[in-house]
Amino acid sequence: MSTYTASLLADVGILTLGALSVYVILATGQLSLGNAGFMAIGAYLASYLTVVAGVPLTSALVIAALCSGIIGVMIGFPALRLKGIFLAMATLGFGEMIRSLFLNLEITGGAGGFHGMAHVSVTYVWIWVGLILVLVWLMESSRAWLEMRAVADDETAANLIGLNTTMTKIGAFGMSAAVAAVSGGLFAHHHVYIEPGNFGFERSIDFVLAVILGGSTIGAGSLVGAALLVLLPEQLRALDDWRPAAFGALLIIVLLIRRQGILDRSLLRRFTFRKQAA
Amino acid sequence: MLAIRGLGVQYGAVTAVREIDLDIREGEIVALLGANGAGKTTIARAIAGLLPFRGEISFRDQVLKPNSAEHNLRAGISLVPEGRGILARMTVEENLLMGIYCRTDRRAATADVGQMFERFPILKERRSRLASLLSGGEQQLLAIARACLSKPRLLLLDEPSLGLAPKMTDYVFSMIGNLRSEGLTIMLVEQKARQTLKFADRAYVLETGRMVISGTASELAGNAAVSEAFLGGGTKPPHHAN
Repeated sequence: MSTYTASLLADVGILTLGALSVYVILATGQLSLGNAGFMAIGAYLASYLTVVAGVPLTSALVIAALCSGIIGVMIGFPALRLKGIFLAMATLGFGEMIRSLFLNLEITGGAGGFHGMAHVSVTYVWIWVGLILVLVWLMESSRAWLEMRAVADDETAANLIGLNTTMTKIGAFGMSAAVAAVSGGLFAHHHVYIEPGNFGFERSIDFVLAVILGGSTIGAGSLVGAALLVLLPEQLRALDDWRPAAFGALLIIVLLIRRQGILDRSLLRRFTFRKQAA
Repeated sequence: MLAIRGLGVQYGAVTAVREIDLDIREGEIVALLGANGAGKTTIARAIAGLLPFRGEISFRDQVLKPNSAEHNLRAGISLVPEGRGILARMTVEENLLMGIYCRTDRRAATADVGQMFERFPILKERRSRLASLLSGGEQQLLAIARACLSKPRLLLLDEPSLGLAPKMTDYVFSMIGNLRSEGLTIMLVEQKARQTLKFADRAYVLETGRMVISGTASELAGNAAVSEAFLGGGTKPPHHAN
């Protein structure tokens, strides 16, 4: 596999994880525009642990995910008071706050960035992507996921059937932050150099876009959305200066045709049935 | 079974209900009547634990706290809210499964879901359909079935006939009668006073957040002032508390 192809595939994997982090939180009806902040926490913490403390990468990623998850829970509590666009704005503020923090934090290199990480292969990236996709897939058929969907559907009704909506929403925040942190840790160790600019608002928007484009009702939609967002611009290179315009137009066309995103449960079911019939 | 003393609820600066005293005994159907904005729904939601309130609500000798819906459900109070409160983006079956969420006897609870399908064949027919695609009457059945699956001791029904065709309203009321005959205690919040009083044992009448009259259903049905104000006999409301 060429370096170019490997790099693209790794980017698809990393974006898939970022999109899954948004998907998990979206399942409870909350929109986060600040997941790049959690990605930054994961990227810097995992890198610091491997480079300075000499912790093996897998352990560093697990530690980073746990720490980011705890921060996610802490952020989740005040965020409970907010809904819709107000929650989106608050999470956006959180993301920018984290970016500014790393911009001024000397210990992680400040604006100059952080380096020294050992490069990880695309296979390692995809092992993590596979694990987390399976985890999300298992969750989707669990009782916990049913609770999350109920909270997203109607919070009052969810209360009336005895759901602890607070715990459900905070749990989703925690899991989302942990997945974003893994994405960040892998990003740092694949690109071997990170700087605060890698984790700006645009990164959070990419995550949300991948979920909306790929399909926000099923975890595998994040994979489809991420693949499209990474690979499509590469296919349009022949258009030179017209590439961004063509890319934007294609995205609009896709969303006009498939408002629910490219992949949804009925499409997946149809595909599975056909496969079974064959 | 349920005793309310001095209940008051405010929405910001607006007082929705004040100084409400109300009792419900085991096995009764108690109706809460009144015009729009009288405070009926507020009382039901306060009992269910969805609102902050002043005063005291005790259920089976247990004092209920404000904003404690999960606890109240486990204590045996289930509310079918106005507008039904179904989970629109879930299937009929998933909605019913959510009804047994609070139960610890998982095996019996799952069997109860099956029994609920036998009891309401229309829900069985539509089990894989999204709840949002059901008719209003079917949604109401689903909401009541889901509430019953939590094995409540007190079922609060808020405007169960709202928006239903007359035939469906009759069916829902007959179902409420069946539930009572199975021993369930019911508080029925309704605007259709005449029909409600045929089913209820006792009733309370509310007007702009205050209890204005209470008594047995037959007393209220025969009360000229109530009849005039709430049963279509006139427009002047009564102004005496019982």
